Amino acid sequence: MSALSALARLEAVRAGRAQPVATVRHVHIADAPLVLVPLKLAGEAAAPLAVMAGAAPDAPSLLIVPQPRNRDQRFAFAASLARLVLNHVETHRGEVEELPGKDGEVRLRYGDAPQLLVPNRGGVRFLRLLGRSTRFRSTEGAYAVDAAVPVLGRWLTWFADRHDHPGSSLLGAATELLRLHWATGQSSLEDGNLAALMGWIDPPDGLDGPSAAALAEDPVRWPPAGPATDPTFDNEVLAPAIAAYDRSGGDARARERLRAAIETQVTPTWELMWRAVGLLRALPEAAGVARRWERDRDAFTHYHQTFGEAYPQARRDPPVRAARRLHDLERAQEAYEAQRAFDDPLVMAEQRLTGAAFGGVVTECHPERLDETGKRPKLRPLLRVATGDPVRLEPGTPVCSAARPALKGRIVEIGGGGVLVELTGGLGRRLVPEAGVVPVEGDRVCFTSRTEGSFGIARFPDREDTPWTHGGPPEDYVPTADDAREDWS
Amino acid sequence: MTETAPDLDRLRGGAAPRNHDARTIAALTANPGCARRGVMDAAGVDKDAVARALGFPAPFGQSQFAITRGNVFEQQVKADGCAELLTLLREGLGLDVPEVAYDDLETVAGNEGRELRHIRTRRLLARALETGEGTLFDHPLLRLDIGGRPAYLEPDVIAFQFAGRFHVIEIKSFAVVDGQAEPEQVAAAARQSAVYVLALRDLVAELGHDPERVSHEVFLVCPENFSNRPAATPVDVRPQLAVLRRQLARLTRIDDILAELPADLTFAPGERLAEAVRTVEARYAPECMAGCEMAFFCRDEARACGATGALGRSVRDDLGGLDTIGTALALADGDLDPAADLAETAAQLRLASLLRAEALENAEARRAAEAPPAPAAAPAAAIPESRAS
Amino acid sequence: MSGSPDALEARIAELRSGVRRAMAAGDRAEARRLRAALRDAESAWDDAVLGAVDDGGPRDAPGLVPVREQVHQVLTLLGAPAAPKLVGSVHAAFFGGDLPGNRVTSLRRDEERSFRTAPYARPFYLCAALTADLLAPARGLLTVSTWPLERRIVGPLSARTDFLTSAIRLSEHARRGTPSPDARRLLWRFAANIPGAATGTVGTVEPDVLAAAARAELDVHRDADLRRRAAAAARAREGLDDAERLFGSRLRAHPGGRAHTGERDR
Repeated sequence: MSALSALARLEAVRAGRAQPVATVRHVHIADAPLVLVPLKLAGEAAAPLAVMAGAAPDAPSLLIVPQPRNRDQRFAFAASLARLVLNHVETHRGEVEELPGKDGEVRLRYGDAPQLLVPNRGGVRFLRLLGRSTRFRSTEGAYAVDAAVPVLGRWLTWFADRHDHPGSSLLGAATELLRLHWATGQSSLEDGNLAALMGWIDPPDGLDGPSAAALAEDPVRWPPAGPATDPTFDNEVLAPAIAAYDRSGGDARARERLRAAIETQVTPTWELMWRAVGLLRALPEAAGVARRWERDRDAFTHYHQTFGEAYPQARRDPPVRAARRLHDLERAQEAYEAQRAFDDPLVMAEQRLTGAAFGGVVTECHPERLDETGKRPKLRPLLRVATGDPVRLEPGTPVCSAARPALKGRIVEIGGGGVLVELTGGLGRRLVPEAGVVPVEGDRVCFTSRTEGSFGIARFPDREDTPWTHGGPPEDYVPTADDAREDWS
Repeated sequence: MTETAPDLDRLRGGAAPRNHDARTIAALTANPGCARRGVMDAAGVDKDAVARALGFPAPFGQSQFAITRGNVFEQQVKADGCAELLTLLREGLGLDVPEVAYDDLETVAGNEGRELRHIRTRRLLARALETGEGTLFDHPLLRLDIGGRPAYLEPDVIAFQFAGRFHVIEIKSFAVVDGQAEPEQVAAAARQSAVYVLALRDLVAELGHDPERVSHEVFLVCPENFSNRPAATPVDVRPQLAVLRRQLARLTRIDDILAELPADLTFAPGERLAEAVRTVEARYAPECMAGCEMAFFCRDEARACGATGALGRSVRDDLGGLDTIGTALALADGDLDPAADLAETAAQLRLASLLRAEALENAEARRAAEAPPAPAAAPAAAIPESRAS
Repeated sequence: MSGSPDALEARIAELRSGVRRAMAAGDRAEARRLRAALRDAESAWDDAVLGAVDDGGPRDAPGLVPVREQVHQVLTLLGAPAAPKLVGSVHAAFFGGDLPGNRVTSLRRDEERSFRTAPYARPFYLCAALTADLLAPARGLLTVSTWPLERRIVGPLSARTDFLTSAIRLSEHARRGTPSPDARRLLWRFAANIPGAATGTVGTVEPDVLAAAARAELDVHRDADLRRRAAAAARAREGLDDAERLFGSRLRAHPGGRAHTGERDR
């Protein structure tokens, strides 16, 4: 949070409607994302009650567990969900691209990747737990489950892991994606309610943001977006329906009534999800999105191609992998934030506000200045930028252009409402700059001190060199019979 | 206490007082500076009923599935003289507990009166401190001084005596999967346990013993992974104890707040209820919605007067502590000359406003330039954009 | 009530919302009224859409042996005060069939009523365990009237001794035949919670080992427990009338008064 986003909230209050905090879309939205609206049984860690799923607004499938405490029904549900999700994964690989890899080998990258969208963070957490509770299951022996169940578990675990990766679009939570682009006139806690958030961003005709959000807080009118259900629904509708189903001995009509009751709780969220997808799609895509989606496709390609040889993901990461993962996430976070600022002046405004970047009009320009103090002359154009920004940078600080990060420079002096910048890179190879590279007088420019990739590449010991302080080299993780038999009650 | 102050019974309008429980304690530690909550809790007012009467019912209903799950798990762990719990202590935590006594303090011969229960709790714990008799004390009824008033606490915990020290054992039905649970739930459990440790320590000190005989290490018993099998995790609640002590010390003394209030104030139902509630100042923050029954009423009030705090504490902080939305917007628009102490905040808001405007205008201009004006283009926009690769 | 299925569905949806709103607002009376209307509408919908169906109702299989006798049988096997839950699992494991839990829970009240109406008219009564300190009914424990008072009174150590005693009795019983899978599961539950009782693979119990382990732990507890139970029994014989001795004395107590003396002679 910052004064800038706080101000956006105030403006939303004044306007009675959400205000943009981004001018472009920073996430990839697939042509046909797999939307999942999961519900779980209250009080349980991951007892699924239902999932509404589908890759098109008019074609939802509703899977339910009529008696969520029944283990067999749970695994039957997991098997149905597995078929649905795995089918989506297999049909969204696109064309295979061949790229030059290391040592002259060919590296493959799928032209597409599956995207999963859930309503909120709770949905992500639920998928993670569902993955954890299914990936170790055995498909033979006394507690055998459908062959698709552990495969689903591994994929869900993988999607949930990718969700932790800043800038990844493989598994998205609608509330988070929306909040990345809009600020509402309510608190972030209240923004966790998808219906209320959508009410601020896109109120129905005749309503403004606050009144739409107020209606959305009535759980009878707008069921919670899951995975938790509304307690009054549980007590007044769900519990009697489950009891009737139990009493009937699994009668098809009792099941149908239960299904119809659950449907009323997921359908409104399902529709909200697709409206949210539509709103996000309508935003122009940021320049960095394609590049980040490429990383997602790389990750997908790798996981898909090595799926057969790999074990299910371990319960806990061994130390070296955990450290490397943390480092990767930090790097990705930094690169992601930098990219977003380059792509979006409204995000860059945060840096200008804190004095890490500055923007303004070029008032003086020496595009062909040479630095001749060294052995050979170097092209070092000078720019003076008039700015009202509170620049908090020292002379000598390296900066780069927000519009073209390859254009690098360093600060020479600050003062008198302006900054003098010496350009040092991205000018071409000759002693005169390439045409159009150096801004001219009257141009609006923005320079920032935050650059992508300032986070160095860390060195981690190989697995077999794990230091004794971290428990020494870990045993290979091999799932045990206990993993497969684990209670799921 | 001044003579004109309303007394707590009148505040309650004659209704029976309510005990402190997990929720009021959570609210207490989350928002110690709220006078409204402080007074209502000190008087044992049924805040839920007040909120309903005001037309802002608190959405704290619990699903029967969650209640059942919690009860079943607790009963299972405590069944047959706490057989499973004992195994956890002996094997899971490796404690040498040869002899096991169990004392149920939830009722005294069928009587649930809190004075009676508290007396019995004191008596059994006193004996345990002196002779070492007793192992598991289930549902002790404790007292804690809150804002200068003693409050009864009804912890759903077991006090476990081991090697001359007491440990709080809390049974919770949220799952611990691969050694991890939802952080909010663990944090809430640790916070609650800390309250109970503190109340137990007070009692031990009152009985003339070293309060350190109540350990800062509590045992959290939760289902393991996706099973019903319990697992015990020791939790060090020293950080929570430190926070709690600080907040209890900071709590405005209830008597001081009462002294400022009209003597005839009452929260009894009636036409003047809303007015009465407004007489006592609240300090609303969105977090209140997780723990206080009055939250929706207070939120409405905070929004109506344009309080920045209704948007979240961090928003208020980002605005340099400005209280009202109107002032902040006027400063951002440059329509208001700031007082000297607001100069920095005002400058930052003004700049933020200009930067936002500049970025949004440029984006608008770019969009206008890029979008073909002809309406014929409209259908194309409906087709999802193709992916760059 | 009549109407087209569509109209009924609309009405059901409306009533459901109504019930939930009433509950959320804490208006229980209104919720009750609407709930009744909702059940009517639902059954009208069933009739209209599904045709009349047998909704099953509570299918209480009429057992051959009355519940009180089944409970008596279990308590006799256990030889110690037991909670309804344990009674149910022992019954399922060793005698087969389910004991309806709510029936077991309500038994004690029925027995007390019967005894007070016609004392000693039956050969035995299922009655309460008494707490050693106040001689009040202990929550949720069942005993048999014919047992010695010492066995029916529970002190702080009794929960454990009774658990261990039951373990010994059940393992002796199990040794006499081939235990059912339910019985093996039950024995495992005991073994898992007694040090040294679970020696083999997870889930399998050697009855002799279980009994020996339970005896070893029982030795630690027994004497102190017995002393306290005996002292309390003596007080009960002295101070309680017949019905109170079976079903416990209600608290006549004033804090610190007579009713609390028990705690001092521990």
